[in-house]
Amino acid sequence: MALRRTWQRWGPGAGIAAVGLGLIVVAAVALPLLWPWNATATDFAATMRGPSWTHPMGTDGVGRDVLARFAAGARISLLIGLVAVTIGSLAGMVVGVTAGLLRGWVDEVLMRIMDVLMAFPALLLAMAVTVGLGTGLRSATVGVTLSVVPWVARVARAETLRITALPLIEASRAIGLPRLDLVRKHVLPHLLPLLIIQATSAYGSVVLAVAALGFLGLGAQVPTPEWGAMITEGMEPALAGAWWVALFPGLGMLTLVVCTNVLSDRIRDLMDPRGALAGRRSRG
Amino acid sequence: MSRFLLTRALGAALTIVGASIAGFVFMRLLPGDPARLIAGEHASDEAVELQRQALGLHEPIWRQYLMYVSDFVTGDWGFSYSRGEPVFDQFVNALPATLELAFVAVGTALTASVLGAVLATWSRGGVVDGLVRASSYVGLGTAPFWLGLLALIVFFERLSVLPGPEGRLSPGVAAPLRVTGFHLVDALLAGQWSTWWDAVQHVLLPGLTLGFVLYAWLVRMIRASMLEFVREPYALVARSKGRGRWAVVTRDVLPNALLPAITASGLIVAELLTSTVLAETVFNWPGVGRLVTDAILQQDFAVVQAFIMLSAFVTVTATVVTDVLYSVADPRVRVRAT
Repeated sequence: MALRRTWQRWGPGAGIAAVGLGLIVVAAVALPLLWPWNATATDFAATMRGPSWTHPMGTDGVGRDVLARFAAGARISLLIGLVAVTIGSLAGMVVGVTAGLLRGWVDEVLMRIMDVLMAFPALLLAMAVTVGLGTGLRSATVGVTLSVVPWVARVARAETLRITALPLIEASRAIGLPRLDLVRKHVLPHLLPLLIIQATSAYGSVVLAVAALGFLGLGAQVPTPEWGAMITEGMEPALAGAWWVALFPGLGMLTLVVCTNVLSDRIRDLMDPRGALAGRRSRG
Repeated sequence: MSRFLLTRALGAALTIVGASIAGFVFMRLLPGDPARLIAGEHASDEAVELQRQALGLHEPIWRQYLMYVSDFVTGDWGFSYSRGEPVFDQFVNALPATLELAFVAVGTALTASVLGAVLATWSRGGVVDGLVRASSYVGLGTAPFWLGLLALIVFFERLSVLPGPEGRLSPGVAAPLRVTGFHLVDALLAGQWSTWWDAVQHVLLPGLTLGFVLYAWLVRMIRASMLEFVREPYALVARSKGRGRWAVVTRDVLPNALLPAITASGLIVAELLTSTVLAETVFNWPGVGRLVTDAILQQDFAVVQAFIMLSAFVTVTATVVTDVLYSVADPRVRVRAT
């Protein structure tokens, strides 16, 4: 009964998306443990084999099993997406709440810095960071994390301003609640739904940006089974007929990002039916 | 109005200055000695020192920043050591190819998204609406480089109906006489029909790949905006006076709904700048994006730096121009902002 009500609330689209996301998570968690092939072990006796029962996604140019690499890549994408979105939203939240509470020159300076970060298209900001810090998965993560911060900060600031203007804040100040308690008891709980909406809607683009950096050679370096880097490796073979090396990582990415976007839109609709918190209003 | 213009322009100028500082800092974080990179690995210490003087690396950091900015403004974007050419010249040479691609992409995306949004609104909640929404989700969830590769696999490798990733023209086909730099226009002006057809075939896949990514953003926005206007009382009045469903959507709702969608153009420019790098790489399109990825592979970061700076400048400018245009079209915005 409860299950059925949940189903009706979320709708069939979100159900399918949840299943798709679940499949990717299961592949990422379980496959590397159960699957006999290793993501980086080469086998020069079986290079460029098409999909078969022993290698459901085929093998690549040096005989590595694409399914094993696919699962390892799913692990990387899911994890980096999670890390970047969590840290990025928390940092953005701190910046936004600080600016919104203190106002004055602190607000001015912080938001100007956020404007500067927003001036760069997200992927290019991440590119600048990887160029500065040196290529690799770690600087790619730092880069995409940084690109999440200003968007969250801007919304968090606007929401803080809205909340602090509410009569309940004035009342709590009147009865002498210290400022920090005010933030903890009244501002942060109000901000939580917002944080979740922002974080989930940024997830998909973060995953795509990390893959794009890997594809350009700025993110994960070659033997790493990262989806973007795998597509780079699969480009030449694909034009010679071996489509499987590049196809599956891209399909995995498509599934992951579409499913998280569908779910995030649904979460937004459920948590924020008036569309009051949404910067960009959408009925998905 | 003039006050609104002034505040917007000042804000934008401040942001661009900030972006230039950020760009400068990222460049200085670079591991390695730029003087050593240019002089070469086996250069003597004296030669490297000379190069250092020439680059102004001995100056205090704020002087270096001012030099960097004044050089950038005057078109001195540094020297690309991998190609032995000034960076600025490389960008100027690559720009027409990128613009040609962008025109095709934006043109297709605009047409398709308006059509898609109208159909979706007309059948809201129906099958067509579902298809449009699904296509938007797919477009937003696809990496442009993978989509381009997929298109190549299908149309070039499997069906062999379109050319592979060989740039703007088939090898052996001479570029038409340069007038505008756009092969599609120049070939027509020169009356070279076979060259024109070849150029069309080459621009098709990269143009549509980029166009699809933009379409996904646009259709989502226009559709959301249209669904709001459909609920307005005036739409109901038009309907009750006997105007058909289709006519209400196209003639009463669409013009109003397109206005808020103008605000998306800053976003579109940003998306275009990003996706063009990825799409050009897959299709070997000799534009600005390809220039940047080549430079990344060669560790020639002066080119990458210039592109990142340029993209911030273009994005901020586009956003401000959009804001101003929008305030001209809808004066209510102006009153609210100041």
